[in-house]
Parts: sequence; C-alpha cells; structure tokens
Amino acid sequence: MMEYRWSDLYIGLRHEFDATFSAEHATAFAALSGDINPLHVDKAYAIGAGFPGPILFGMLTSSLYSRLVGVYLPGKFALLQGIRIDFSSPCYVSDHLLVVGEVVFLSEAYQRLEIKATIRKDDGKLVSKALIKAGFHGN
Amino acid sequence: MDSVLEELQSIFREVLDQPQLNLTRESNSSNVDNWDSLAHINLVTSIEKRYKIKFALGELQELKDVGDMIDLINVKIAAK
Repeated sequence: MMEYRWSDLYIGLRHEFDATFSAEHATAFAALSGDINPLHVDKAYAIGAGFPGPILFGMLTSSLYSRLVGVYLPGKFALLQGIRIDFSSPCYVSDHLLVVGEVVFLSEAYQRLEIKATIRKDDGKLVSKALIKAGFHGN
Repeated sequence: MDSVLEELQSIFREVLDQPQLNLTRESNSSNVDNWDSLAHINLVTSIEKRYKIKFALGELQELKDVGDMIDLINVKIAAK
C-alpha cells in the first residue's frame, strides 16, 4: 500500500494494477447490492440478449477505482470524495483488466487531488473511465 | 449582474444541484442550502479551474460571503 502525503504528489503521478473477477465475485456482488438483473446473473438470458455471457456489473468493476484510490493514489491516507464514471464496453468473468490512474489536478487549499483513471481489457478496449476526486484523512 | 457573480451562480447551481439558486454578494454557507464542507471544496476547485487561479487556505478562511470571494477572484485575475 502506498502512503503518499500531499507534498509527495505531482501532476502525472501514475499507478496501475491488474485484476480479474470470478463468477463467485459476481454472485457475491448481486447478493450485496441486491441487483439481481438477469443480464448479470442469468447466463441463458444474457446469451439471449446477444452477449457471450453474463455481463459483469459496472459497479463491481468500478470497485477497482476504490482500490486505486485507497491503495495506490494516494493510498493509506486517502479519503474518496467523488467519482464520475462513464462505461464504454461490457466485460465478463475472467477478463484480465488493467486499471491505470494518473493525477491530473491538484488544489492546495484543501489538499484535493483529481485522478483520471481507466479500466481496459487486454486488447486495449476501454471498459470504463473515471474522474476521481480525493483528499486526505487525519493521521 | 456582475459577470463573475453570474459565472459563480452557474458554478454554484451545478455543484450544489440547485438550478434555481439566485446567488448574491451576500450569499454564504449559512443562507445557501447544501453548502457544506465537501461542497465547499468542490466549489473552490471548480472556481480554480474556471479562472485558472489557485487559492491559499488562509485566503479562503478570511472570506465571509460570495462578495468577498468575487473580490478575491478579481484580485487574482488582475495579478495573472
């Protein structure tokens, strides 16, 4: 886990990591969120709708933005303050996802940083992009 | 309406999700709904981006209303 403080940050500071979700993750997310839409949990339904299988929940894959902020940018002392996400294409169980985040804006007064982040598949296809607002908590 | 006030009104309406908000020089966090601490950070950073200026924390702590903010913005614009 990174432990960046305000004075460590600069425009262009960047981190990346990869992740893969399993069918069990999707099942757990459906139970946690209560989102039981068949496009995400019913293989036959998803195939019937023209997809190769159940689509991973956008908010499940977007949980990787939480990891980006809480573990990498800025890491331990983070306080997530806002996020805007645009979804571009579906992804599926076992897809290899690459998460990249880069600091694009710093506001000294209240120690606010903004991060542009993306989640892409191995072929480079964009799954989603996000603009994340974060600050720091005490300690 | 003062041009900076007009632009601030647009920013405040968007950030505070109040499309009908009528901002005046006398507006402050006590008489504008939803102007809480995190909204304040969002307002400040939106203003910094709009005018390509930077505020110091001490400058912001001295402001008592939107009128003071407008005056500070004008000082910073003039100093660019």
